[in-house]
Amino acid sequence: MAQASWEKPKHPLKRKRSQRAQFITAGVVILVSLLYLLVSGTLQGARYFITVAEVLDDPAHRGRTLRVAGAVDGESIDYDSEEAVIRFDIVHIPSQYDDLAQALRDALEDANAPRMNIIVEDAAIPDLLQHEAQAILTGALEGDGIFHATELLLKCPSRFEESSPPEGLGQLPEHS
Amino acid sequence: MLAELGLVALTLALAGALYAIVACLYSARTGEQRLLQSGRNAALLTCPALLLATGALVVALLTEQYQLRYVYQVTDPGTPPLYRFTALWGAQRGSLLFWSLLMSGFICGAIALNWRGERRLMPVCIPVMMASLAFFLGLSLFIENPFERWWILIDAPVEEQVVSRALIPPRAVPPTEANLRAGAEGMNPLLRHFGMVIHPPMLYLGFVGFTIPFAFAVAALASGDLSNSWIRATRRWTLIAWLFLSLGLILGGRWAYDVLGWGGYWGWDPVENAAFLPWLVGTAFIHSVMIQEKRGMLKLWNMLLVIAAFSAVMFGTFATRSGVIDSVHSFARSEVGFPMLAFWAAMTLLALSLLAWRWRGGALRDERQFASLLSRESLFVLNNVIFIALFVAIFWGSFGLPIASELFLSKEVTIGAQTFEFYVVPLFIAMYMLMGVAPLAAWGGMTVARLGGMLRIPLLLTALGVAGLAVGGTDLLVAALGYGVVMFAAIVALCEIARGVAARRQTLGEGPLRALLALFGRNQRRYGGYMVHLGVTVIGIGVIGSTIFQTEAQHTLNRGETVVIQDYALRYEDFVRAQAVDGRLMNIASLVLLRHGDEVARIRPRIDDYPQLPMSIAGAHSTLENDFYVLLIRGDRQRATFRIYINPLVNLVWWGGLLLILGTAIAAYPKGRR
Repeated sequence: MAQASWEKPKHPLKRKRSQRAQFITAGVVILVSLLYLLVSGTLQGARYFITVAEVLDDPAHRGRTLRVAGAVDGESIDYDSEEAVIRFDIVHIPSQYDDLAQALRDALEDANAPRMNIIVEDAAIPDLLQHEAQAILTGALEGDGIFHATELLLKCPSRFEESSPPEGLGQLPEHS
Repeated sequence: MLAELGLVALTLALAGALYAIVACLYSARTGEQRLLQSGRNAALLTCPALLLATGALVVALLTEQYQLRYVYQVTDPGTPPLYRFTALWGAQRGSLLFWSLLMSGFICGAIALNWRGERRLMPVCIPVMMASLAFFLGLSLFIENPFERWWILIDAPVEEQVVSRALIPPRAVPPTEANLRAGAEGMNPLLRHFGMVIHPPMLYLGFVGFTIPFAFAVAALASGDLSNSWIRATRRWTLIAWLFLSLGLILGGRWAYDVLGWGGYWGWDPVENAAFLPWLVGTAFIHSVMIQEKRGMLKLWNMLLVIAAFSAVMFGTFATRSGVIDSVHSFARSEVGFPMLAFWAAMTLLALSLLAWRWRGGALRDERQFASLLSRESLFVLNNVIFIALFVAIFWGSFGLPIASELFLSKEVTIGAQTFEFYVVPLFIAMYMLMGVAPLAAWGGMTVARLGGMLRIPLLLTALGVAGLAVGGTDLLVAALGYGVVMFAAIVALCEIARGVAARRQTLGEGPLRALLALFGRNQRRYGGYMVHLGVTVIGIGVIGSTIFQTEAQHTLNRGETVVIQDYALRYEDFVRAQAVDGRLMNIASLVLLRHGDEVARIRPRIDDYPQLPMSIAGAHSTLENDFYVLLIRGDRQRATFRIYINPLVNLVWWGGLLLILGTAIAAYPKGRR
């Protein structure tokens, strides 16, 4: 006759505690890894987003990777297609504005507004690089006084929707 | 006449939505069913009313009614009919109306299909859906009215004479037809692409679709009916919204690839990221909802995910439409920003408050506890953690860091694409590994040895695949490992499908194809899910190939000259200028692509001259192996400069997307009564 054997099971409370500890440990490991990922990535890749005037006025910004926005002066655009180098100037626009199109226009009409030379190397010339476009550049102002951009973002022209009524509509019909 | 018709229909839709809110909420209090039915009917009325309003705007666009400010802004006499139609969603005013139409379509579908099954949730569900719709209708009527017309005020000073108003102002006349036609601004050239026909509607469908699960979740919380019934009702709606959102994201990538001319498809732009965020939360929900259905767990978490998905949609809409975010995709700065932010905050707070109330009352207590780390439910939770980590990282980089730095440092700090890649690559690796392991784990728990046994064959096949890649010439260890991780997930999905087919063949004696079809038909969710996993792995292979091995070069060629790039030769043949039917001038270069001396394609990149700006249209030779992608930079008949990209495996991104959509459609397809 087979003998029945019985083994006392582990204390259920103890087992529960050990499982909880496993889950908590796994959670802490995940949380710490995620925090490390975010903090280290941010410290390495963070760039200040500033205006042209701020870049030019503060020597502390020289050589630092920055993000800067300005109005593109269309006449200054020069593209060397052999070397794939784009050169142009951007003009200071204030960091706060109500109407972007107006801010860009005002900036380019102001002869005294601070302006900065830009160089972008090994790049195709973007279609949106036009007069009165807003350029958002990532790069650094080097010792040669030129901002060497590694990233160039241009605002889509649909942003330049008229907030004021268009000119030319105002002529009254003859019968009125 | 069209403007009046549109205005009346829009007002009627808003009135219907408001009445539905009041009637249904009153019936929730009193239990009066006739009032609930009346509210439902008013909600259903919004759809035909919005169809009428949208129809009026479409007719105005097609028939060149330039007195309408919107028509004047987005079209001109040279705009082809197809783009006249797509102009409906080409700028803020029209796209808000279109958004409302899609939302109301989704809502009417949800009411019609769930009226019988989920009737007890309807007294709250309908008001939540209608509140969302009414909010967008309010924006359309009071802030961004698509039916505003240009008027000249006869008695006003010259500089204030031209105004745009929805209603006819006193002592006003319309501008002359000739002036209107001459001044019409026309569509942004970037939007004149086939992608414009389909990408925004799909994205909008994905966005507005998340309103339905949110409304059901809030209704369940408010009514206290927190059984799995609301989960069943919303799961399919979530899948449908997720399907459209996925399609919108894939098509957006394709559009960027074709139109923006940088040889890439994802730039970590804030607006792109804003559309990706609800997708991540939706993906997490699609997985975790299975645990609630099967095990009665994660009730609180699922509620949170549904609320977060809707909240992410609203935040993304705010980010895109307010114009406060710097992006190539965003709309112009608009007055809708503050109301949208307020609506987003109000809806999110309302839902979270209800959630907290129910949670404190113990109504969201799980029926089981996690028994083992090595169980399917634990691994699904880990999968959720990864999706939420991706959400946090991308939200932090796109919005959190710029906002926090502005608040605490008075300076905006941003991060670039490289940092986003630093964040997401380890998380995607973890996601792919889990995609391989989790489907093999058992509910409740299993031993390491048993799981190891199940993983043996997929791991062996993966190792063979990686070795094959190494022999085949993939000399980059990172790429080989990347392919390995992605392949592992694909092999597990394929093995599971093969196992199912084999089991049917053995037990039922079916042929392989019949067994495969029956497998997908009998268990749509499971095998549709595997197909989605396969799609994601194919996308992963495409992303690794096109990112790590992309070749980029720029060459200036004389006519007849050839340049050699890898094992291709590219010869500049000709250059022509031609005029398109819409009047734009096209500068077309003609090149011959040779491989091993044989002509494989003729490539014609071009630059289209629009009045607003030139548009570069890439020429490409596409195969499954790679895309030979050429941009014309400038040129004439004698000499031209080209930017050349070889993007290996990039087409797998689109093919993988197609598999993903197909798999989701299978999983979401309603099962007939058997």
